[in-house]
Amino acid sequence: MRTMLGDILSQAGFEIVGEAETGAQAVQRYEELKPDLVTMDIVMPDMGGIDAVRAITQRDPAARVLMCSAMGQQALVVEAIQAGARDFVVKPFQPSRVLEAVQRVLG
Amino acid sequence: MSRYRDLFVSESRDHLTAIEHALVRLEADPGQPEQVDALFRSIHTIKGMAGAMGYAPVAELSHAIESRLEAIRAGAAPMDRATLDLLFEGADALEQLVAAATQGGSALDTSALLGRLGRAAEAAVVPEAPRRTLRAGARDVSWTFEPGTPLPAARTTLVTRRLATLGTVVDVAPSDEVMAAEAFDGRVVAQLVTVEDAETIAAAVRACGFVAHVEVGAIHAPEAPPTEAAWQEGQLTAPLQSYVRIEARRLDQLMNLAGELVTLRGRLQVAASRVSNASLDAVVDDVHHLVGELQDAVLGTRLVPVWQVFDRFPRVVRDAARTVGKEATLVIEGREIELDRALLEQVADPLVHLLRNAVDHGLEDPAARVAAGKPRVGRVTLQARRERTAVVITVVDDGRGVDRAGLLERARTMGWVSADEEELDDRDLLRIIARPGVSTAERVTEVSGRGVGVDAVVSRIRALGGTVEFSTVEGRGTVFELRLPLSLAIVPAIIASCGDESYALPLTHITETVQRTAGVVRRVRGRPVFVRRDRVLPLWSLRELVGAQGRDPEGSQVVIVEAAERAGAVLVDRLSGQQDLVVKSFDAVRGMSTAISGAAVLADGSTALIVDAGGLLQGQ
Repeated sequence: MRTMLGDILSQAGFEIVGEAETGAQAVQRYEELKPDLVTMDIVMPDMGGIDAVRAITQRDPAARVLMCSAMGQQALVVEAIQAGARDFVVKPFQPSRVLEAVQRVLG
Repeated sequence: MSRYRDLFVSESRDHLTAIEHALVRLEADPGQPEQVDALFRSIHTIKGMAGAMGYAPVAELSHAIESRLEAIRAGAAPMDRATLDLLFEGADALEQLVAAATQGGSALDTSALLGRLGRAAEAAVVPEAPRRTLRAGARDVSWTFEPGTPLPAARTTLVTRRLATLGTVVDVAPSDEVMAAEAFDGRVVAQLVTVEDAETIAAAVRACGFVAHVEVGAIHAPEAPPTEAAWQEGQLTAPLQSYVRIEARRLDQLMNLAGELVTLRGRLQVAASRVSNASLDAVVDDVHHLVGELQDAVLGTRLVPVWQVFDRFPRVVRDAARTVGKEATLVIEGREIELDRALLEQVADPLVHLLRNAVDHGLEDPAARVAAGKPRVGRVTLQARRERTAVVITVVDDGRGVDRAGLLERARTMGWVSADEEELDDRDLLRIIARPGVSTAERVTEVSGRGVGVDAVVSRIRALGGTVEFSTVEGRGTVFELRLPLSLAIVPAIIASCGDESYALPLTHITETVQRTAGVVRRVRGRPVFVRRDRVLPLWSLRELVGAQGRDPEGSQVVIVEAAERAGAVLVDRLSGQQDLVVKSFDAVRGMSTAISGAAVLADGSTALIVDAGGLLQGQ
């Protein structure tokens, strides 16, 4: 999953500065790396994606987080947006859709 | 929280009244879709408020009623007699639930009612139409998502969060559930209160992605509370006017303060008259004028049109008639007449008594009416009108009237009139039927006739400083006439003294004041009377009434009083002018004569007892 997203972004000229396995790790790595953009799965081990978004945007209100979700997760995505996520993409990923979302978030 | 609760209660009551109003109209003519719309709006508002307050049973029941109404609007369920009865029942239950939710108390079991309401609603498949309340100052921002937009509800959340950076988003429609459904057409409308221009708003929506089309509408005009006409028409397109909901307690406080100021003004005038200074007098004059205006203005804030209470009465008459198997219509006249809010609330119960009485005791059965050559449906008229400084409310029925012979018989037997009394006039009749425990009904019904009606009405109205008159024609009907002061708080009165004490006689009942020498004091059948210009008036001495010692001095004055078509004379030592009294309460002073109805503070700071001529004459 991460690889697939990473490939799409790398091929479009973005640099992947770091990756995380869990929500808690994502929060910690964000602190260290201060990336321009975070892509985050809604469902993750330990701290879920929504809590991680909340933790990140509380520390950095300017943080840009793009949620990745499946079709059936509408309510969770709504919650993630309310927690501070800037946009979302729905699996299966189409490169054009992903890049549009990234442009919206960075623009 | 309790502030919100009070607001919830007061707004719910307004809506419950509107609901009953619409139901009664629908009962008269079920083919009025605008009344169904009015019902729907009120129920929907109650549901929303109850949901926000966490009153689950209220929200649940209003939801069930709303669903049923939706089915009716969609033509999937009928608006027939059974449905109307069910809706009436639902409105009653809703009222009880609102009371229970806010005051505690036992919760009503509505499961059976919910079941019956639900049956028709479920049977009908009703497409959900987005229902919206337009918010003043907001503008509609509507957009359409591209076909195949994934998770449109989530996308909408993105849009609304973006819009929230420009202002306040007050509403979004349709709901997340509708957007999640397959049939969702991609159209969303949000209401936004903002200072940003349409282009900025549209750009913000487009920036959220997947937006095919966006449109920014005009700013909604402020919505005034429903006017009476709007209630009637079931339309809520009211003129531009702004209203503020104020706790009645605050207005009472303002009224009390204005009252104190009136008293103080009097004291200022007394003090200034002792000094005799032209510039002081000029200021006192201005103060006098301004305080008068202030008093009128404050009084004005407390005045409300009688329809706010009267509009509940068609329901009262309907229910009373149905319970006893009669047919009746209520005609309301003078609904725009204004009355002090506190006073209006106080007369509501007595009026309910009189209306039920009119239906239960006044009107005949449909068969008897037809036999007597009258229209089958009985007519009860409730009228309000303004007369000088009073408001007169009459309750008239076109029923059988009071059986004078029967009541005379009873009164003789009970010793209420002398055994040789041959005829009872209207005043005698009122005195008899107003005796606690007397009923004109031959039987006790669920509606009235427990003998607690008319005496309760008379004593309540008198306690409010008003009078009750009564007339009846056998076979033709009965009239009750209630005469009420405009306000409870300030009463113009004449100040009379007796020894060193001052007493106040409210002007409401005074017709004139004369020198004692203008007439002759005699004794008739052992009691004193005042004879003047061929009129013989029962005479009371203020000294005796208040238990003061000493004889009346030579220069005594006589105050002629009238109430409920009766007249009398009160002998006082001296009269010392007229004042506006601030009456703190009409609580009876214990251990005093029944002629004393309260106390007031006079301009010089002293206290005066209030002599209630109405009580004096009625107790005669």
